[in-house]
Amino acid sequence: MAMFDILPTAFIFFAGAIIVAFLPSGRIRSAISLLIPILAGWQVYNLPAGEFAQIELFGQTLDMMRVDKLSRVFALIFCLAAFLGNLYAWHVRDTVQQLAALFYAGSALGAVFAGDLVTLFFYWEGTAIASVFLIWARGTEAAYQTGLRYLIIQITSGVILLAGTALIWRETGSIAFEQMTLRSIGTWLIFLSFGMKCAFPFLHNWLQDSYPAATVTGTVILSAFTTKLAVYALARGFAGTEMLIYIGAIMTLFPIFFAEIENDLRRVLAYSLNNQLGFMVVGIGIGTEMALNGTASHAFAHILYKALLFMSVGAVLFRTGTSKASELGGLCRTMPRTAILCLIGAASISAFPLFSGFVTKSLIIDASAEKHYTIIWAILVFASAGVLSHSGIKIPYFTFFGHDSGLRPKEAPINMQLAMGFTAFLCIFIGVYPEPLYALLPYEVEFHPYTTGHVVGQLQLLCFALLAFAFLMKTGIHPPEVRAINLDTDWIYRKFLPNTIAILYKGFTSLWENAANIVKTGLRQILNLLHKIHGPEAGVSSVRPTGAMALWIAVLLAFSLIISYN
Amino acid sequence: MGNVPSDKSEDNPALGRPLVWFVNPKNSKTIVGVLIAICVLLFLADFTYHKHGHFAIEDYKGFYGFYGFVMFTALILTAKLLRFFIQRPEDYYGDSTIDDEEYPPEQLEKAEHGDV
Repeated sequence: MAMFDILPTAFIFFAGAIIVAFLPSGRIRSAISLLIPILAGWQVYNLPAGEFAQIELFGQTLDMMRVDKLSRVFALIFCLAAFLGNLYAWHVRDTVQQLAALFYAGSALGAVFAGDLVTLFFYWEGTAIASVFLIWARGTEAAYQTGLRYLIIQITSGVILLAGTALIWRETGSIAFEQMTLRSIGTWLIFLSFGMKCAFPFLHNWLQDSYPAATVTGTVILSAFTTKLAVYALARGFAGTEMLIYIGAIMTLFPIFFAEIENDLRRVLAYSLNNQLGFMVVGIGIGTEMALNGTASHAFAHILYKALLFMSVGAVLFRTGTSKASELGGLCRTMPRTAILCLIGAASISAFPLFSGFVTKSLIIDASAEKHYTIIWAILVFASAGVLSHSGIKIPYFTFFGHDSGLRPKEAPINMQLAMGFTAFLCIFIGVYPEPLYALLPYEVEFHPYTTGHVVGQLQLLCFALLAFAFLMKTGIHPPEVRAINLDTDWIYRKFLPNTIAILYKGFTSLWENAANIVKTGLRQILNLLHKIHGPEAGVSSVRPTGAMALWIAVLLAFSLIISYN
Repeated sequence: MGNVPSDKSEDNPALGRPLVWFVNPKNSKTIVGVLIAICVLLFLADFTYHKHGHFAIEDYKGFYGFYGFVMFTALILTAKLLRFFIQRPEDYYGDSTIDDEEYPPEQLEKAEHGDV
């Protein structure tokens, strides 16, 4: 094994995590956790394009650092997200969470730079194993069970990836992670594996199940990596696969209905995340340079505003103990900074002009229009209005405005304010001045978001939708926030399958008991008969001691039978 | 909720005081009025430039506004209908679900405004 010509970025995080583990809990440790992503980001920013850190293993080349514009832009935003997440979690003094965050971010970076499927597999599972601790760190029975469900699905995704890799290797003799076509079982398996992590429809529910279960800071960190790693992997492996256009369109569509009626605001944001992934997946499916630029830039912008929204709801949870819309309202009085920063996140995800979502999402929507996917385009524009409804309106309105819950929580801690403030600044910066982000994208950008048509059209869409919201609230048609949950596909494995198994179990046990009863009564009859014939009173047993012995043996036998079959 | 604290409280943070204007029910008419004015202006703005979208439908004046209003309303109504089918009590999945438990208080820093 040769020495690395470049230290893989993931190793910076892993080495940092080991150092952190040996430091006493406190400010120094938090500071080191901030320094690691800065160091890594600096390395990524200065890396030349090319392939580094290759290892020969069993005749195959493991390619640990494939640097090109696509991997670099995802790596940069991952470093940035790790920095912001760790700043938000500055106050946390829990070693498990601190290490998990670093190993998780490191694994995600390792996967982004993986040039072969085996390396990808190792880091793919790394993200699964490291991240579950951010859920388990909540420390409750419910978090433990939710974490297990999450882990099983994530690990399964990895196992399917490995199976696909093995098939591809047998077929082609290569494990290189390159553009694939859906022609063999191997590539289909890899597609499925990516789709699980990317929360494709019907494979999505681990996301809404697990993210609200994590700790306040854990959810912010979770929101950045796993799903965007899957988006990266799809962009790398399946760009231009037409099926992704339709999968993505469905992803933009169905979560907006669920988000609308969900009460837990962190779960609302998880549905919203799912919807945003849909836009990125459509971009990958279209596969033109413009569309892929759209996907990469939208992932970049999305990680920031989604983190900002999770941070603001997290801050409310941190101060009030709840993130349920039915329990909140009117917090702008005493948490004004968090409220304003949340509004910036809301404006960014809703793609108001001058905010980040506007300059990235319109790349994807325009790419779909340019290829004349009429229905897809109409769905994406509709889904944009849907984003406004749950993330743009519902989150800030029912938390910070709306009716007065009577809660007067203290403003968020200063480190949370700083993290939110910095993230909000980036959301606006990208929206106002998108050129630096455009320069990082995989292809040359020839796109001007700020044309009159774009700006007026988008503002019309959003303002008239706001008007519809005002109208529905005034007339009382808008559904109220109530304490309840909604069924989703997790019902299948949380209710249907356990119930079915329970019914089957019950059926089999009663069947078994009946059979045992029949045997038992039969035996008893035989014993009674024997007793009659051979018992002490019976004529057959004229010698008393033998009769008593036989009786006692019969009693013992009957006793042991009763015990063993009850 | 019991005693809802007064909105005039001078104790609220300075930044929070102007925001209270937005939650005061008296001002909701003004807010909606301004919103309607903005929408009218945005509709009129469509007459000031030449539209050349990718689809013919985009060239209708006020298309995006109309689409936004109608689709938003349709979304809310459909979601309301959906709730009828899929809504369940919080303890539907049993006792140990995150929807039915308190967030562990020792991991929070619950505090009222004014607490030190």
